[in-house]
Amino acid sequence: MAEPLINRADPESEEAEAEGALAFLRPRFAEERFPWIQVWGYGGSLVLTLGAYFSVVRHVLAPQFLVAAILAMAAGQAALQLGVFMHLRESRGLSWQIVPLALAFFTALGMIGMSIWIMAFKSGVS
Amino acid sequence: MPPFARYLLHTLFPPDVLRPTEVGADVLILATGVIIMVVMTRRHKWRHLWTEWLTTVDHKKIAVMYLIAAIAMLFRGGVDALMIRTNLALPGSPVISASEYNAVFTTHGTIMIFFMAMPFIFALFNAVIPLMIGSRDVAFPRLNAMSFWLFAFGALLFNMSFVIGGSPNAGWTAYPPLTERVFNPGPGENFYFLSLLIAGIGTTMTGINFVVTSLRMRAPGMTLMKMPMFVWSALATSTLILFAFPPLTVALLMSLIDRLFGSSFFTLGHGGMPMMYVNLFWLFGHPEVYIVVLPAFGIFSEVVPTFSRKRLFGYETMVLSIVAIMLLAYGTWVHHFFTMGAGPTVNAFFGLSTMLIAIPTGVKIFNWIFTMWGGRIRTTVAMLYQLAFIPTFVVGGASGIMLATIPADYQFHNSYFLVAHFHNVLIGGTLFGLLSGMYYWWPKMFGRKLDERQGKWAFWLFLTGFWITFGPQYLLGLKGMTRRMYTYPLGYGWHTLNVISTLGAFVMGAGFLVLVYNIVYSMRNGERDLTGDPWDGRTLEWALPSPAPEYNFARIPVVYERDAYWDMKEKGQTLANSLTVRDVHDLELPRNSSLPFFLGLSFFVVGFGMVFSWWIIAGLGFAGVAACLVAVGFDYRGPKRVDAAFIRGTEVALGRLRA
Repeated sequence: MAEPLINRADPESEEAEAEGALAFLRPRFAEERFPWIQVWGYGGSLVLTLGAYFSVVRHVLAPQFLVAAILAMAAGQAALQLGVFMHLRESRGLSWQIVPLALAFFTALGMIGMSIWIMAFKSGVS
Repeated sequence: MPPFARYLLHTLFPPDVLRPTEVGADVLILATGVIIMVVMTRRHKWRHLWTEWLTTVDHKKIAVMYLIAAIAMLFRGGVDALMIRTNLALPGSPVISASEYNAVFTTHGTIMIFFMAMPFIFALFNAVIPLMIGSRDVAFPRLNAMSFWLFAFGALLFNMSFVIGGSPNAGWTAYPPLTERVFNPGPGENFYFLSLLIAGIGTTMTGINFVVTSLRMRAPGMTLMKMPMFVWSALATSTLILFAFPPLTVALLMSLIDRLFGSSFFTLGHGGMPMMYVNLFWLFGHPEVYIVVLPAFGIFSEVVPTFSRKRLFGYETMVLSIVAIMLLAYGTWVHHFFTMGAGPTVNAFFGLSTMLIAIPTGVKIFNWIFTMWGGRIRTTVAMLYQLAFIPTFVVGGASGIMLATIPADYQFHNSYFLVAHFHNVLIGGTLFGLLSGMYYWWPKMFGRKLDERQGKWAFWLFLTGFWITFGPQYLLGLKGMTRRMYTYPLGYGWHTLNVISTLGAFVMGAGFLVLVYNIVYSMRNGERDLTGDPWDGRTLEWALPSPAPEYNFARIPVVYERDAYWDMKEKGQTLANSLTVRDVHDLELPRNSSLPFFLGLSFFVVGFGMVFSWWIIAGLGFAGVAACLVAVGFDYRGPKRVDAAFIRGTEVALGRLRA
């Protein structure tokens, strides 16, 4: 007896399965009447961007403090983008997010770290 | 003449674009445009063009549009190449001036990488990936159309620079300070940055689309390790795109801000760091090399088993090496600028990592050879490109290892040895792979085979032309000829080799003409593919009629083995003979949308306005972009329903369902 070649699975039984043991895989979406979080997030990201820009252009702090302040704003910006716009609080739970997130952070930190190492060349040769 | 008109004329048509070549091109473009307009109007095709093509979200049609764009761009990049080669064959009396030469080699490189190789790859991804994994479309069909239109309008913006405003002229890498406004005042480099930024948004979206498609849209039973290798290559390529394009975007944007708003990220003065641009560019640029070559590896992994009548040798190691290449690709970028003078530790690290990447690549080469070993090989055109690819790519890889040897690289750097090396891998690897894929999947895309005899002519012209062109360039490099020189003094012993190289380039040009003739001839007279399986294929796309109906699969198949369609044929149970009337239900398909086209158009307006710093036009463009995004967000129309009766009718007409 050959196996069936086309999918005759009942879509409703799949849904029933998702109710039971695989319930944690069911998508969760935030449902609100008005996307206040996104509006505030958008405003916040603009504030952080303009804050970084003007604090550099106006030289509001000494250079080391300026770098620290920009880095802090960058960390805030990243958290804000991930939390508000990248659906980190929704979808299929954290287990689906950890691997790609870790990969992204690993790659980003690798790129930054290696770039600093490469661009420190003046101390190596001259 | 009013001063406004004089300003406009002077800005849009500076002396750079009033040379005989450009004026000739103007005439040709206008003539072609008028002919197209007249033919389209006479045949009442405008509505058809709009409803069936420009607003489509069907992956198969988007594939055709990508393919047309890629072949057109191959033509333009090729003409640039012939201009370069002609100049170098006649060192005493250069045909084009130094400044025009700068523009020509810049556009040659940029077009071949960003506007030929990338759309060609996306054409093949779109044409077959959903079919291979048993899906009705990509994961995000409308996003897919947006990707295409962003690419198309980016390409338009880039190509326009040739006749309006002036071409970019700082090389395809656009290093500062060559691009600094003080040294390069025209709008040319703005065209480069903006068109790549716009096309880059599209490319990133394509990357997202194919990651999700290959992870989430597979037919039931198709586990990751049963996925065809071409889908694996698409997954690896798309992942590379996701991580490689952000550094490019950042580098291009910062350069653009330097030029338009007078900041100094990469300038020579005011504490700018020009080398940081180089670092960021190659942080993208090296993964990009693998973005364009991994799909070719994927194509060969489909073509070789089919035409050897054997399953792929060492599938697991193939997957492993493609993933290894994907990861290692991020760790080698400094080999593009060893001579910058980073410390010996840095160079040694990146030299070693570069050599390391040859190991997985070698594994793949051996696996293809072992697949062919003992197989029943048919030398179709698709297979010929593969057979030519192996020795060509091995030579290119070996010269790559020579370049990765740091002390030697100080000699080879920016010489014709390097030029020969990267053409060796990009033509021998990417282009041969893409052409192989084009011949292989053409029947699936258009329902007719490409004529094999003409295809073989094109192939042999291409291959011999390739070696005549680039063989001598290795020697020229060893004799000290550097890249990007528009002329050279006689007496260095370079002339003969350059003449040979130029002859080869024209042989390749002849090969391209035969290829185009082959396509035009076969569109009308090619052998019809009535079975849907002209090559005795192994993967699911061959289980469908050629070309596939709009909904692809009347019912989604179940996959049990790696070569799913081969398995079905062995069991004597194909999709065509096992479909019953009861299996066909109403379907939902994505609805056509004009928004992707208008989004691309708005971005084009943004780009055009910013190139000339006409802020009102750029602002209008941004408003258009915002309007399109809002319209996308508030589009609550559901998908289009396709009636089961219609599907039954189609399947009966195709002879795949008994009425």
